[in-house]
Amino acid sequence: MHLIQRMKIWKELRRLEQRAKEQPSPSTFVDLGQVYINLDLHDKAEAMATDGLALFPKSIELRQLLDCARRGLRTRRAQELRAKLTRSPHPKLFRELAQIHIELGDTASLHALCQEWSLRFPDDAGSWLVLGQARLTSFYRDLAAREGQEAVQCLQRAVNMDPKDPQARRLLGEVLYRVGAVHEAQRHLEALRDLDASEPGIEQLLQHVQGLADHGDDIAALLSSVEAHGSLLHPSAEAARRAPGGEQSMTQARLGLQRVAEIEGVEKATFIRGSKAMVKGAIRDGKDPFLRIVRVTAKAAHRFARRLDIGNASKTVVEGDYGRICICVFGEALAAAQCTEDCDQLQVLTELQELVAGALHTVEE
Amino acid sequence: MSKINDAIAELRHAPGVKGAAVVTADGLVAASSLATGLDAEVISGLASYLMMTTNRSLDEGGYGLCSKLLLNATHGKAVLVQLDDSYLVVLFDQFAEIAQADREVDGAVARIRRASRLA
Repeated sequence: MHLIQRMKIWKELRRLEQRAKEQPSPSTFVDLGQVYINLDLHDKAEAMATDGLALFPKSIELRQLLDCARRGLRTRRAQELRAKLTRSPHPKLFRELAQIHIELGDTASLHALCQEWSLRFPDDAGSWLVLGQARLTSFYRDLAAREGQEAVQCLQRAVNMDPKDPQARRLLGEVLYRVGAVHEAQRHLEALRDLDASEPGIEQLLQHVQGLADHGDDIAALLSSVEAHGSLLHPSAEAARRAPGGEQSMTQARLGLQRVAEIEGVEKATFIRGSKAMVKGAIRDGKDPFLRIVRVTAKAAHRFARRLDIGNASKTVVEGDYGRICICVFGEALAAAQCTEDCDQLQVLTELQELVAGALHTVEE
Repeated sequence: MSKINDAIAELRHAPGVKGAAVVTADGLVAASSLATGLDAEVISGLASYLMMTTNRSLDEGGYGLCSKLLLNATHGKAVLVQLDDSYLVVLFDQFAEIAQADREVDGAVARIRRASRLA
């Protein structure tokens, strides 16, 4: 950079720093953070965004700035690790770089890295575990059978290479029971308990799995069924624990809805099955327009997806001046929430998905 | 018009994008770039139906209009963005991460808006 240009930038920086001190507002913090990013000072931009968020916790721009600064830091760290790996490859460095690629959502680089990792260190199960974790995350998000199959294969390979690795066993056991291969999952979870009885939560997990119905060990067929239905067959142990015994159906739905309503930024939430609706938040009565909007949009989205031959519409998000309306559907069970623009959309959708998945579980019982 | 076509064609190269189209509110195709097997007429009709139905229910409820709609289905994903008198429809494969293509979609929206105003 030209010396005069640099001096101008530093002058501008000092002016913005002064302004941020005298007139703190989201835009002054963002302007200053942007200059830091332009100067490649991502650590300073991150600190600026953190300070700003302490004063203005709901600012979307500051969150975006923080995200951008962290991405910059991760990208730089990834470049450093890449250079180190070229000089002296080591499984530990591969693991750290893979984690950064996961955080950056850079799937293509992750796959290439894991391929290189497994070629350089063919006896290290780490590459298969990391790849399995990444595939599993996509499977839980999209419920696509192909991703599930890849995840199971990677995790099985990791378990075969290192039977004493508790993480691979646990992930494999969890995905297997959630798709319905309960007996197969039990085998892995019991092996995990035998490896280390002090493994956190293993006894409760085994108890939870023992109470579930087995649907065979044809994993490919089970994954296809999950994809076709748009929902996992069994709820997670945590979701099941939230509503113990008794009047399962209603209690579980009510608690699930409560969790959705408690997320910061959620204004209205509903769980609808058939003609009945359960509501939380600022909903006056059954005639509240939110309920009609949710039903109409879910139906239109369903029709759109079916006619376009892309399967069932499981998640829909409608954005506007009012914020966002997030909708999750399975069969005749529907869960939806209206939230503000700065609300954590991913968290809302995850909770809504758990809610409709729980509904499937109780219907089955 | 060619600028709109250019924006659509460029968007088509974003990761996971199977097709993109600009459709009018009454379901006519203004511009499109789609993978083989996708019919522009079908997509425009369905997109118009989805946006109009959603907008009508939002409007009747006093919510105003929808600016963007994201849809996740078993075998694919879709993003519909409200333009001035039309919609941008972007179709993704089931493995695509819509958030990663946000920048490309926003860029295409800005270019189409600019081109529409000039025309």
